[in-house]
Amino acid sequence: MTADVSFWIVQALNALQLSMLFFLLSVGLTVIFGLLHFVNLAHGALYALGAFVGFTAATLAGSYWAAFAAAPIVVALVGVLLYWALIRRMRSAGPMNQVLVTFGLIFVFLDVFRIGWGDIALGFAEPELFSGRSELLGVVYPTYRLFIIGLGLAVLAALSLVLTRTQIGAIIRAGVDNDAMAACMGINVERVFFLVFCVGCALAGLAGAVAAPVLSVTTDMGTAILIPTLIVVVIGGLGSLKGAIAGSLLIGFVQTFGSVLAPQLAAILIYALLAGVLILKPAGLFPARG
Amino acid sequence: MFHQTPLKTATVLLLAGLAVAYGLSTGFFGLELLTEVAILAILAIALDLVAGYGGMISLCHGALYGVGAYAFGSATVLLGWGAPAGLAMAVGGGALFAWAIGAVTARTHGIFFIMATLAFGQMAYAYLFESPVFGGNDGLPGVPRLDASALGLDLNDSLTFALTCLALALLAYAVSAALLRSGFGRTLVGIRANEARMRVLGLPVWRHKAAAFGVSGALAGLAGALAAQHTMYISPGLLHWTVSGELLIMVILGGLGTLVGAALGAGVLVFLKHEVSRFTDHWHLVVGLVLIAAVLAGGRGLYGQLEHLWERRRAARRAPPETPAPDEETTGHA
Amino acid sequence: MLEARDLRKSFGALTVTNRVSLEVARGERRVLLGPNGAGKTTLFNLLVGELRADGGQILIDGRDVTGLSVDARARLGLARSYQKNNLFGGLTVRENLSLAAACAQGRARTPWADSLSDRGVAEAVDEVAQRVGLTELLEVPVDTVPYGARRRLEVGLALAARPRVLLMDEPTSGIGPGGIHAFHALLRGLPAELTIVIVEHDMDLAFEVADRVTVLNYGEVVFDGPPREARDSALVREIYLGTWDGDA
Repeated sequence: MTADVSFWIVQALNALQLSMLFFLLSVGLTVIFGLLHFVNLAHGALYALGAFVGFTAATLAGSYWAAFAAAPIVVALVGVLLYWALIRRMRSAGPMNQVLVTFGLIFVFLDVFRIGWGDIALGFAEPELFSGRSELLGVVYPTYRLFIIGLGLAVLAALSLVLTRTQIGAIIRAGVDNDAMAACMGINVERVFFLVFCVGCALAGLAGAVAAPVLSVTTDMGTAILIPTLIVVVIGGLGSLKGAIAGSLLIGFVQTFGSVLAPQLAAILIYALLAGVLILKPAGLFPARG
Repeated sequence: MFHQTPLKTATVLLLAGLAVAYGLSTGFFGLELLTEVAILAILAIALDLVAGYGGMISLCHGALYGVGAYAFGSATVLLGWGAPAGLAMAVGGGALFAWAIGAVTARTHGIFFIMATLAFGQMAYAYLFESPVFGGNDGLPGVPRLDASALGLDLNDSLTFALTCLALALLAYAVSAALLRSGFGRTLVGIRANEARMRVLGLPVWRHKAAAFGVSGALAGLAGALAAQHTMYISPGLLHWTVSGELLIMVILGGLGTLVGAALGAGVLVFLKHEVSRFTDHWHLVVGLVLIAAVLAGGRGLYGQLEHLWERRRAARRAPPETPAPDEETTGHA
Repeated sequence: MLEARDLRKSFGALTVTNRVSLEVARGERRVLLGPNGAGKTTLFNLLVGELRADGGQILIDGRDVTGLSVDARARLGLARSYQKNNLFGGLTVRENLSLAAACAQGRARTPWADSLSDRGVAEAVDEVAQRVGLTELLEVPVDTVPYGARRRLEVGLALAARPRVLLMDEPTSGIGPGGIHAFHALLRGLPAELTIVIVEHDMDLAFEVADRVTVLNYGEVVFDGPPREARDSALVREIYLGTWDGDA
């Protein structure tokens, strides 16, 4: 019986860890959409870039923490380049052109990864501080995965604090609700949007570096995580922080428990969930605009 | 609105002529490419029908294509039915699946429609990937080709098969063009332009959208059945969303909402990929950059740009340069 | 012909339509008056079905249509024009009118015959174009015709739908005195059996065309009667005078 219970606790922790990865990715994607009305299919590629940059940094410096620091910074810088070169002028181009351009970016990144890092799956070790296993709730669980959960919760706490307690947060919330109104507040809204975009990219890069020790670093890791992340964002409601949290938890748990309870159906389950939500609540569970 | 302009007719005939000439002068590998182009042209036309004219940007046409291939494959390999029955299953299955997707997603728009179609397509992909009945990830080998010996055709011959696919691509174009020139097609364009107004005018919009999606699915199913016969093997990879993404690339490269552009785009992308991979492994990079450039250049696509220049020259020739002639028919007969 | 019974609609705490009842007879010309935000457009949205009422009933020709969809109500002969142009962008004036006429004539869904070149549709398009003065502009894309022409096309789309009940939302807004004059001529030329409800801002103009006037204020019907009585009603004056300075 206790073995049974600990099995479910382990699964719940797995689900939570997966949810946190989804959260780090989806929160950037969803706020970028809410503010900039931009659908960025290349968000998954930025996550993969974070993993590759992290790999190189960790290998060169001989420490995991080099990856942890370098990945968000480098990916944010690449984000800046993308913003100035492409995204700024695609903002009002409609969803189809955005989907196409960022689909093109996925292709470009794919080959950039191949040229830069080769086709073989790479991996780097977790930090020594969090290696090994810990005991929690009566189960033994990899410490590094607990670190991921903790990191996700920390980012979540920091973001909600910024959004609810600071002026920038107020501008972001107003911007998601109504651009014109935000512009009326007399602050340089463009600069805030740009900042949000950079933070979104940095979080994607961070997610890549954090996921790398658990999953392996492959050229297609970005495309593989893109679809569940998009599903998280759409189920939660585009542009909504609350939606990103709810969607991440929902998809993380459905995917984890689905593959345990009904392996045959697991793959279909999240798509069925998305289809169901879109039919019943076409704007997602927590639509950002009232 | 769709008009079969002289420019369009000329482009269709030119493309068909080029394809036949290429087919007659090339070897086995060239015929493989030509067949692929013809099949993807049908699929791209099917996508343009709903995306270019109905405003429904679908990311599930790869899945409709795959459903057609699987319907044909399972009818012939698993059930032992003849190829004609398989063909009917593919067309009917594609139409039915597409109609259902169209009906359910009719109320979603923009990015939500794109995501909803993505979800349904990936659902089919995931199902076939996991399903032992259909061979799972390994797919089904040994798919037969249609026996057309009664017509004096041997479809196991590469040239015959390629030309047959080409003829069917022309047929797909003709059917789509005829549909777009009908009341049904005009109304579809009306929905793209202003769906809410169409509804206020008394049109049951969701039924119209679902029907259009169904027709598109029937064509995609046909393309799938041809693909299954072409490679004589089917796998879940046909249904993956990236196939739908590449299809959108074809349509945008050739010209969204021009119909003939879709076929042109299929040809350009297949040959571009082929030519690039002769020099480098990194065709993704090239195609990605070409796509980005195409969208940034205004997104008209190759045929769209040609048509744009053509119309401008015609307008300039008919009227003094500084005053365009808005009160004249600028397009051909309806 | 068109009847609303006890219609109610709220957005959150804001009640925009409060127990509105209205009965418009066949062939009647009814004018809806009221200051900005009185709920005139909302009432149209409820009647057409673009908004769902929280309560109450809507009847067309004695038939309860409250549960029917927008398109089903339209097929019963209900048509409307919009205060803000709501046209088929990217298409020509002829194509715009053809879409509406094809719907009215059951030609919108035929997969074999063209609706653009259909004789019945083309005749209806020519007739409506004549009525609203768009004959010269038929082949021009709507995005390039002048604003006044687009306002007329807005009404033309509703007319081409061959309605039995026609709802027009401020058809004269922004078209200048000449346009208003032409619009009145158009109204006089419409078939007598056509039932028409017009939202109008300008009282004097309204009184000229109305058989009967309904005045809305804060989502409620505050007056319903012949134009002469409305003109003399102190309440109506007060509502209008009260908002006049702020509005104009």
